[in-house]
Amino acid sequence: MSSKLPLSDDDVHAYADGKLPEERRAGFTAALERDPALAARIAAIRKQNADLRDAFDPWLAEPLPRELIAAAKPARDRKPPRGRWAIPALASAATLIIGIGLGWMGRGEVLRLDGTPTTFPREAALTHALYATDPNRPVEIWANEEDRLVRWLSKRLNFPLHAPNLHAMGYDLVGGRLVAGNARPAAQFMYENADKQRISLLVRRDDEHTSESAFRYAVEDGVGVFYWIDDACGYALSGRVDKAQLLAIARVVYGELAAAEAAAPKL
Amino acid sequence: MPDSLPHPDLVAALPRLRRYARVLTGDLNRADDLVQDTLARAWEKRRLWQPGSDLRAWLFTIMHNVHVNQFAVRRREQSESSLDADDGPVAGWEIPVRATQSDRVELAEVFAQMGRLPVEQREVLILAAVEELRYEEIARVQCVPIGTVMSRLNRAREKLRRMCEVSPSPLKVIK
Repeated sequence: MSSKLPLSDDDVHAYADGKLPEERRAGFTAALERDPALAARIAAIRKQNADLRDAFDPWLAEPLPRELIAAAKPARDRKPPRGRWAIPALASAATLIIGIGLGWMGRGEVLRLDGTPTTFPREAALTHALYATDPNRPVEIWANEEDRLVRWLSKRLNFPLHAPNLHAMGYDLVGGRLVAGNARPAAQFMYENADKQRISLLVRRDDEHTSESAFRYAVEDGVGVFYWIDDACGYALSGRVDKAQLLAIARVVYGELAAAEAAAPKL
Repeated sequence: MPDSLPHPDLVAALPRLRRYARVLTGDLNRADDLVQDTLARAWEKRRLWQPGSDLRAWLFTIMHNVHVNQFAVRRREQSESSLDADDGPVAGWEIPVRATQSDRVELAEVFAQMGRLPVEQREVLILAAVEELRYEEIARVQCVPIGTVMSRLNRAREKLRRMCEVSPSPLKVIK
């Protein structure tokens, strides 16, 4: 650019882009006539702009994927993404829905072999009873290898898992294991409090693409289970703990999972 | 404050958002993920949008921030796994030249050469030259002073011009 002119690079770009304020434009046009190099520079920038538009504008005419159009809709018109449910609804819904839930459970939850029908909460309670009482091997991978545990289970279940932090509720992760579920593998995370009381969270992929997300409660063989299912996953929190306390922990689990979900895509 | 975004305007902005995402990520698939994440964020932050202001520029700003965050995460992951040694500014530009759908050789070149610019320069160039945003708006999108925008624009244009002049592109030989 020419140092003869009191024109900055910024002015050159602004002029070429048609963004120079009106009052400065006249002087610029005069300068252009005196300075062919400057004129060539302006022309080159404009040619470049035109080339860029010619190169990138055809993209605008491409058909849009349906998911993108759906994502432009107001959030309330869409199915909520996994893990983000209406928290306030959960507590009252949990009591209301037990009856409905019992009927619902019979639907897709039955083991279709000739064995005893097994529901998700029953599966969770049995799994809990089996491993929580094991003094030596309650888990397959211990909490000191939490990252490896979560990675492994995520891989086996084929979706990203997260071991919720329940420290605030007095429970710390013991570890976890892969368990055989009704139709497919499930992941169990085991927790323990200072009194050696254990609770466990069973997570599995769910085929019943239900959008219901209310907490439900069941007692199986003396083990209390709060469980909830969203459109992709089933969760069950089991323990020989009183109902109110288990619900409180379930809320924390829910909150932890929602937070992990929100953090994962780094929005 | 609005509790909603103008849905028709949002849909109308989609092709431009998608284009900007492609220029940012350099990858057709990652671009669509970025658009999704941007829309989700926009709905979360809908109360911050001022009715009457340029929705497109507001969405670009959100997309820029989402991308910066994701880019930082990816960089960390890459350095941890030490699989990807290519840390240069052009890493990840994977859009095929064919995607320009253009028969003009020089356009294919412009396109390929865009991929050799650092992401912040690509961004300024697409926003200034193609989207024709005001420089102040670009500064807001990138969250930098306007002087930074101008120097990025200057460098991007110079670099692109030199590349077009100097390198006798192999594309010319092929065509």
